[in-house]
Formats: sequence, C-alpha cells, structure tokens
Amino acid sequence: MRGVLLRQLVGFLVLLVLWQAAGRAGWLNPLYMPTPLAIARALIQLFGEGTIWPHLEATFGAAMLGLALGVLVGTVLGIAAALIPILSEFLAPFMLLLNAVPRVVLAPLFVIWFGIGLGSKVALAFILVAVVIFFTVYTGIQQVDRKLVERIITLGGGRRALLTEVYLPSVLAWILGNLKVAVGFAFTGAVVGEFVAATRGLGYLLSFAQSTYNAALMLAIVLLIVGFVLLLFTLTGWLERRLLAWRG
Amino acid sequence: MLRVRELSLAYGDTPVLERASLTVETGQFVSLVGPSGSGKSTLLRAIMRLQQPSAGSIETDYGPQEIGMLFQDDALLPWRRAIQNVALGLRFRGTPAEEASSIASGWLRRLGLTGLGNRYPRELSGGQRKRVALAQVLAMKPRLLLMDEPFAALDAIVRARVSQDLMTLVESAGIGVLFVTHDLEEALALSDKVYLLSHGPRAQVVGEYEVPLPRPREIIAARSHPEFAPLLAILWQDLSRTVQEGTAA
Repeated sequence: MRGVLLRQLVGFLVLLVLWQAAGRAGWLNPLYMPTPLAIARALIQLFGEGTIWPHLEATFGAAMLGLALGVLVGTVLGIAAALIPILSEFLAPFMLLLNAVPRVVLAPLFVIWFGIGLGSKVALAFILVAVVIFFTVYTGIQQVDRKLVERIITLGGGRRALLTEVYLPSVLAWILGNLKVAVGFAFTGAVVGEFVAATRGLGYLLSFAQSTYNAALMLAIVLLIVGFVLLLFTLTGWLERRLLAWRG
Repeated sequence: MLRVRELSLAYGDTPVLERASLTVETGQFVSLVGPSGSGKSTLLRAIMRLQQPSAGSIETDYGPQEIGMLFQDDALLPWRRAIQNVALGLRFRGTPAEEASSIASGWLRRLGLTGLGNRYPRELSGGQRKRVALAQVLAMKPRLLLMDEPFAALDAIVRARVSQDLMTLVESAGIGVLFVTHDLEEALALSDKVYLLSHGPRAQVVGEYEVPLPRPREIIAARSHPEFAPLLAILWQDLSRTVQEGTAA
C-alpha cells in the first residue's frame, strides 16, 4: 500500500516537472496553460493577501448548509415514502423526474427565486443532495433484510424497535456509504450557483478569472476546490469507519 | 403444550400444507422432517404468527413471549455487539439495561462465549454466531422453542457441539422444542418424537414416530443405541416412499 502511494506521488511529481519544463521551454501558451509555478504563485497570492477567505466562507457555508438540509430532508422523505405507500405513489415519480433532469439547470431559476445571495446556492446544493439521499434511503429501506425484521418481531419488538434497531441503522449505513457522492454534489451546487450569479464564493472567483482570461487563477481555484473536496472525503471516510465499525 | 389441529397453509393461491396436526408436550423435543417444500418452515412461521393459516387452529398454553424462535440464518443485528444482540429481547420486555446486560453475559458464559461479548457478529465464527443466536433466545426463558434448521450451515463437529449444548440446556430447563430439519439422524438423536411430512404441495403429516432413547441424552452416544438404527431405517423408508409418491404425482 505504501509502495503504491509512493509510486503515485513520484509519478505526479514527474508530471509536474515535465509540465513546468514544457512551459519554460515555451511549448505552452501561458494564456491557456500556465505552468505549475504560476498556479502556485496565484494560490499563494490569494492566501497571502487574504482575499480568498470571504470566498471560501461563502462556498463552504452554502455547500455545508445545502448538504445538511439535503441529507435531512432526503432522509425524512425517503423513510416516509418507503413506509407510507400512498406518499410513495406521489413522491417516487416526482423524485425520479427530478433525478432525470440535470438539476444544475435550475440554478438561474433559483437566482430569480432566492436572489444572488446565499439562498440560491444553498437551494441548488440542497436539491442535488436531497434527490441522491432520497433514493439511497427509499430503495435501501425497501431492501432491508426481512430476516432482521422477523427476528425483532419474534423477540417481541414493536414498530418502534423495528425503527430504532433495524431501519435507522440500515439507513445510517446507506447514507454514510453515499455521503462522499453527496459532498461532491453539495460543492457542485454551491460553485455552479456562484458561477451563475454571485458577489462572493469560489464559483464567483472562477467566473471572474474567466472574464479576465486569468487561467492561472482559474486553475488555482479548481485546485483549491479539489483539495477541499478531498479533505472532506477524508473526513467522511473517517466518520464512516468510526460509525460503521461493525462492517469492518 | 402446543397443539396444531388440521392446519392448512398457502402462499397466495398455492397450497403448501394441508390439514396438518401435531402436538408438542411441555419439555418434549419434537422434530419435523420431510422433503423440501413440504411446508416445515411455513408451519413454524404460522406458530410464530408471521404467517396466517388458511384453515385449522394453533392452540398453546404459552404466551407470545414464552415462545422463542431460532432461524436457519442466525439473523443477528450486524451493528450490535454479541452481548447487545443477546440482551435485545430482554430490552424489548422492559428489563433495565444493566440487568439485561448481566443476564446476557451469563448466557454467553454458559454457551462458551466468555470474552466474546464485545465482538460484532462479523468477528465471530459460524458456530459462535449460532451460539449467540441461541443465547439470545434462551435469555428470554422460553417455554417453547421453535427451531428452523438452525445448524444447517455448520460443519459436522461444530454442529454436534452446538446441538449437544442445546440438548443439555433444554433438558435441564424443561423447554419444549419443535425442531425442523432435513437430517433424519439429527432428528432421531435429539428428539422424543418425530413427525414426517409428505411431499408438497398440499403436504400432510404422514408419520409419527416415538423415539424411545433415554434422557439425559448424549447425542453421539444416542446414535449407537440399539433402537436407533432400526428406527432410522423405518424413517428413511417412509421418507423415500413419500418422496417417490410426490415425484410421481
């Protein structure tokens, strides 16, 4: 495992060195493809001058709020639809329809509805996450192990015991299993929302870099987003290992 | 006592069991054998009220909480540790957590699982999981135990050990058992009485055999008892005949 990681690291470093060398040799147009050092300088400038913090705060705030609301609402609706058939008749096709359309197209509509502030970004992150979590929970509960349900019943457990001992732990496992996807969606929602219309955030910075043809800044921001999402993936993985220790 | 009278069971429109009658006296070990699809498991599910009969009746002196069931699959909650799984039924009954844990711990010890209480089911072997499932049911102090091929997935040695443990425990506690199995030798070695079901659909009870082996019983030694081999031969013969008749029909 360590050997693989080391080889991957060396490979990545070689790629960076070749990229830098190609840039210095004049083989790459810096307008389109800045060198790794130019990108690093843009990153250092963002942090050094402190201009990045309000943007990070805006994007993180929107993504995390959208993630939390999306997980909460998606879970509640998923449980309700799985346990109340009449609700499922309405909710399942609606969610299926929502899942079929690329939900980022809703971004301009959300700007009209919720303005260019935090609300429209949270709404987009929320809708992206909620649909994923809804289907995770809805299909998960329908596929819950019948043997466990019968075990609880034969041991004298009622509806409450079924919920706390079988359904909720199963739901938690499915949600945590899909949390990485949800985190990715939450950031996509926040950044795309900011890209469409905003005054702050990494998406807004991306839009600004695009309009000023600043490829180094653009790549620096992309790198930043990738870095933060990877950090959140690591945290999610840690949470999964801790809460799902029984899975090994 | 458990008395099943003229019980018929169906899955949708497909009849499974027809007019089956059997009795399990208090403290008696009764086995139910028969070909696959003869409705043995369905009958246990009906006794546990997991399935509605289409006709007939199930009469018992026991309350719902006095009947325990052990499935073929151990069906332990994977997210609960062994001790929590054993204490589960007690908690549902309202036993305080500490007391339930102490009782569960005692049962784990009695079943040779000392020191394994904090393990998750995936960290236990098949035989250990089966013992945890057995402890889970016995901790409820059942007066009647329904067992649906509980040891089918275990290898021969582990199966013999767990069966002997079960035998010793139910003999000492006077628990009645209705035991479903495919294994005729196992049925005879464990039981006081064996019922034979015919080939399904519309399976019926076609044989009732008293097993005159002494108690307390060592299940390995029971197999070499003079009465064992002749009884096994009769049971085999009757089972073969019912399978042939079922296949011909």
